[in-house]
Amino acid sequence: MTPAAFLPYLILAMVVLAGLRLGQRVMLWRGGRAAHVDWMAGLKALPKRYLVDVHQVVDRDKSASRMHVPVAGGLVLASGLLVLGLVPALAASRLYWTLVTLAFLVMVAGVVLVARRRYPQPMARLSVGRWQRFPIYLAAFGLGGLVTAGLAAIGNPLPALSFVTLVIAAGGGLKLAFDAASGPIRHALAGATHLVAHPRPNRFDHDEAKGRSTGLQSIDLNAETLGAKTPSDFAWNRLLAFDACVQCGRCEAACPAFAAGQPLSPKHLIADLAAASSGGHHRPYGGHAYPNERPVAGEGGLHAKVISPDGMIHPDTIWSCTTCRACVEECPMMIEHVDAIVELRRFQTLELGAVPLKAEEPLSHYRGCDEPNGRALAERTDFAAGLRLPVLKPGERADVLLWLGQAAYDLRGQRTLRALIQCLQAAGVDYAVLGEDERDCGDLARRLGDEATFQRLARENIAALGSVTFNRILTADPHALHVLRNEYPAFGGTYDVVHHTAFLAEMVAAGQLTPQALSGRAITYHDPCYLGRYNGETEAPRALLDALGLERREMARSGKRSMCCGGGGGAPSADIPGDTRIPDIRMGQAKETGATTVAVACPQCTAMLEGVTGERPEVKDVAELLWEAVQASATAAPRDSRKAKELEPA
Amino acid sequence: MIANAEALLKPLTIKGLTIRNRVMSTSHAPSYGKDGKPQQRYQLYHEEKAKGGIGLTMFGGSSSVALDSPASPWNQISVADDSVLPFFQEFSERVHRHGAKLMIQLTHMGRRTKWDAEHWLPVKSASATREPASRSVAKELEQEEIDRIVADFAAAARRCKEGGLDGCEISAAHGHLVDQFWSSLSNQRSDKYGGSLENRMRFGIEVLTAMREAVGDDYVIGMRMSGDEMLKGGLTAEDLIAIATEYAGRGLVDFLNIIGGQARDHIAHAVSLPNMAFPVAPYLPVASAVKREVDIPIFHAQRVTDLATGARAVAEGHVDMIAMTRAHIADPHLIKKLTEGRADDIRQCVGYGYCIDRIYIGKDALCIQNAATGREATMPHVIEKAATKKTAVVVGGGVGGLEAARVLAERGHQVTLFEKTDKLGGQVLTAAKATWREALTGIPRWLVSQVQKLGVDIRLNTEADDAAIAALSPDIVIMATGGLPHKGHAKGAEHAVTTWDVLEGRVEPAGTVLVYDEIGDHNATSTAEHLAKQGCLVEIVTHDRLVGEDLGSTNQPVHYRELYKLGVMMSPNLELIEIYPEGNRMIAALRNTMTDAEEERVVDHVVVDYGTLPVDHLHFSLKDRAKNKGLIDDAALVAGRPQPAEINGAGEAPGYTLYRVGDALAGRNIHAAIYDALRLCKDL
Repeated sequence: MTPAAFLPYLILAMVVLAGLRLGQRVMLWRGGRAAHVDWMAGLKALPKRYLVDVHQVVDRDKSASRMHVPVAGGLVLASGLLVLGLVPALAASRLYWTLVTLAFLVMVAGVVLVARRRYPQPMARLSVGRWQRFPIYLAAFGLGGLVTAGLAAIGNPLPALSFVTLVIAAGGGLKLAFDAASGPIRHALAGATHLVAHPRPNRFDHDEAKGRSTGLQSIDLNAETLGAKTPSDFAWNRLLAFDACVQCGRCEAACPAFAAGQPLSPKHLIADLAAASSGGHHRPYGGHAYPNERPVAGEGGLHAKVISPDGMIHPDTIWSCTTCRACVEECPMMIEHVDAIVELRRFQTLELGAVPLKAEEPLSHYRGCDEPNGRALAERTDFAAGLRLPVLKPGERADVLLWLGQAAYDLRGQRTLRALIQCLQAAGVDYAVLGEDERDCGDLARRLGDEATFQRLARENIAALGSVTFNRILTADPHALHVLRNEYPAFGGTYDVVHHTAFLAEMVAAGQLTPQALSGRAITYHDPCYLGRYNGETEAPRALLDALGLERREMARSGKRSMCCGGGGGAPSADIPGDTRIPDIRMGQAKETGATTVAVACPQCTAMLEGVTGERPEVKDVAELLWEAVQASATAAPRDSRKAKELEPA
Repeated sequence: MIANAEALLKPLTIKGLTIRNRVMSTSHAPSYGKDGKPQQRYQLYHEEKAKGGIGLTMFGGSSSVALDSPASPWNQISVADDSVLPFFQEFSERVHRHGAKLMIQLTHMGRRTKWDAEHWLPVKSASATREPASRSVAKELEQEEIDRIVADFAAAARRCKEGGLDGCEISAAHGHLVDQFWSSLSNQRSDKYGGSLENRMRFGIEVLTAMREAVGDDYVIGMRMSGDEMLKGGLTAEDLIAIATEYAGRGLVDFLNIIGGQARDHIAHAVSLPNMAFPVAPYLPVASAVKREVDIPIFHAQRVTDLATGARAVAEGHVDMIAMTRAHIADPHLIKKLTEGRADDIRQCVGYGYCIDRIYIGKDALCIQNAATGREATMPHVIEKAATKKTAVVVGGGVGGLEAARVLAERGHQVTLFEKTDKLGGQVLTAAKATWREALTGIPRWLVSQVQKLGVDIRLNTEADDAAIAALSPDIVIMATGGLPHKGHAKGAEHAVTTWDVLEGRVEPAGTVLVYDEIGDHNATSTAEHLAKQGCLVEIVTHDRLVGEDLGSTNQPVHYRELYKLGVMMSPNLELIEIYPEGNRMIAALRNTMTDAEEERVVDHVVVDYGTLPVDHLHFSLKDRAKNKGLIDDAALVAGRPQPAEINGAGEAPGYTLYRVGDALAGRNIHAAIYDALRLCKDL
């Protein structure tokens, strides 16, 4: 037998070894909670999920997609071809070995590209350690295979060399296979399984009408354990998802908390969760430490508590998250970091009551007042006294139900709402509010882990909404929009919910509002996470701003890849200190555009960005800008009427 | 943002009438009425507050319900016949358009008015007593006259309702007919209207009962009354709380608008309209005491000059509505600025009392610092941007120069402001050094904050000259160089020092001081008080009939009170004719202006105030080169039109136009300087 003839057996050995090793992980995953998985549908969808969904994310970093296609493609192709080499006729064919050689050549070319991302200096977001050594094993397998097969293709002139290269290939290949349980290559096997058994299969639907599958999944409040105390409290396919992480660090690079020096890195978190499930330690970890890392014991276990200074992850890490989903949006492995964080928070809040100090107040107010500021529900409409704001009584109807949200309690938010209401009046819209029957939508409670309060509010709001008739719900709060649109259906409330930017854009397009151009002003639009990333709405606000004749400049991060203002997910309530503040970073990005106005579309973003001190662009909600333009067109015509002549006594 | 803002922004519902927030303006008399009607000027003045977000604006302080309570003093409103209805209707529509509510005050002044007014009818009251403030002696009302006045009130209430007003209040404060009946100082009757408090309350009860019958139970009627007259022999807090609970308990009134004090004489008047000598919200406890006893909303005004104080008053439950009447004269856009997050842009009332003082001498109410108030037809509260951006230089950082810089910057121009000292504020900073005049600093403080915010290039410690101005190639140069004091024309005037020397600390007099005043305003009186407080023995001498003759009725009594307390001698009708040294002292020779008799004083210092003379050397060195020769076209200025030098293409010609404002033209006051600047610069 020529040395090359051993290659197919090497592949078989690798498959067996990898299978055994992966089997250990499968046993771990089975320690998680049960989850319903439609295997057939998942398998059917796998090629598209991999070739379209994953590729689209990977391809945002061209160096990654250019590297991954040849290295993975070459590896799979060479391995596949080699298995065919068990057929004796093929093993004797020079043409066959030429094909194998070419496949290895493709892989080796890919390995060179992999190496260039890591040597001499790895890219900042990449993990080192075993990840840094990964290209070496790939190179050993690829180069060894290449030379061995290549020599076979030209008639095996140097059997001694072939033997040496076979050994090198075997060394690399078996190491790769062995690493299937704990090494970098795990991402491929766990990743593929994850794509099949994904906990949010409809995130791959790409049907914008159905939403983006970003709503949190509810839990049974009668379950024995609420939320995740230990890795075993996660659904099994969530444990699988953690194993799929490729530690590319895209999540970390996008994470606003990480940027602000708060002790959160989504990559580190997922690595910790993967390590915890197998009883590992949070070291070794090849990435950056959590910024301003809080000390933890770092010991994990499938049945050991995760969140604790004595556990794997410090509580400050999960409370730093703004739930902005930037990590999820950037993850090529389709991992759902925010789901994991909320699941961990749920246990802290519901089982331990261990919420950050400042988060106790809103949660306590929620229980007493059905809203987080401790204000009476009847006060929600106070701000609109003097404006026409019809309140729907049970049985009454209106075309548009205006959901006021938290903004109605806040002086700044009230400005936006007044502008919106005046626009509605000018456009002749038939609108009304729920008045004191509107409770808080529960967004903050849910994201702070208080699922019980959220579910109660959801049910009560759904009952109130069911007592009146309307066609659409309109809101200026993307958080309320998200909850009403994506999270209430699980409780029986399904509504057509529209954000005010989209609604107003419709009004302008239909000619119901005729704004005058606000020319000569450079603006930049800040996408609210809960509108853009969570709900895919990035175009309507821009269309509206363009209709106002404003010079629109884009920040480097915008649209679905925009950066968070720091205001979501209860992060302002948790208030975990870092080196700087997220809104300061975001405002810095806005300033770089040279815009004099930051257009916003969310009361949280408004509050966070306006809280930035010093010289900065002004912050205006899109509705405020529109109302300004509508007023300008109204006053442009009858300007002199105020200079009426002295009145004649009748 | 201020604390407790949400308390102010909470609507208040009274009998189905929802007022959008807790901030109001009480009925007052700006003297804008014309022929007894609230016409354009009056309406625009209140409309501006409505635009500015106020919840409730009440107009027509002391609007009369009967012919024997004349409307012509303070140019007030007569609700005594139906001819006022179309004006009410138009007024209501105008205010309602902006979401605010509108109410009026109805009253019969009783003895607190003049018989030599439009109808030449005797003044009438419960008894034939004299009111010190009006110097009128009343005719005692007969039963038939009482019945007629009660019917007049009812008819007036009906007119309010038909005119579309959201409600009305009757005045039973400041010594009007209703409270003349309440007080045994003015009610010495022995019939059913006199004697016991129950009897003295009867007239007011009859009035309100008749009004209720005329307009029905759902129309809002309130009453303005004192919570404590703070007067010997006057109505006590106990009396007034008894009255308040009785009237409220009978369901006659829907709100009470509580004041502290009353206004029967000069000092009582000044105390009830507290100026800058008083703390902020001095009588809030009086209103709060009434609030504890009644179940209806309590309104309260009196020197609530800032939103934070108003918000505290409402949030802590002392009152239900906080009235910021003078605060709205200084800035009618208070609530708008609060809700727009621009509370820092609010021009705060400093308590100068200029607005009210003017009406008591037959003039119109104007704000010492906001020249647009009461001039809404011609002067903007919000400055419009100019079509073309120009370069402007303002020389002088007093209030006139600051206002010019502010308005020009609001117009969108590039403005450079030269100030030769290290501070902005000019003469106002000097005046503010005299005892309780300190609050004057609020005027330049706001202007400075605005010009800084608007990006004016402020050059302190820099005296402007030809070269510095030319280097900026301006299109417009505003001379606001102000004035400097002079020592007058008496022989030996060089031995005198000026009030400026004293207030700025250049001299620190001790011993006996003669303060000589030829202006009659705050300058000399406040300097005299300052010197007396430093331990000097002071005599204030004036050419005029009275010390501080031009001081208004809310300020003069406070000056007098302080001067009397400090033992300052007040010697009017004397002219300073000569000063000469004798040994280490001064002899001041004085001439009695009535008798020509001469007398002398031996004093350690003579301090004089002859006002200021313009600082105008720079103006005259630039004048010939200016396109308009440094002249203002007065006709255009008065008509509120752009200056001719700025139109017909003259604005595009090379070179600059040059204008002078404020004391750089001639020594006057703060309002004159600010109005000069506003009305000129709004069109530049």
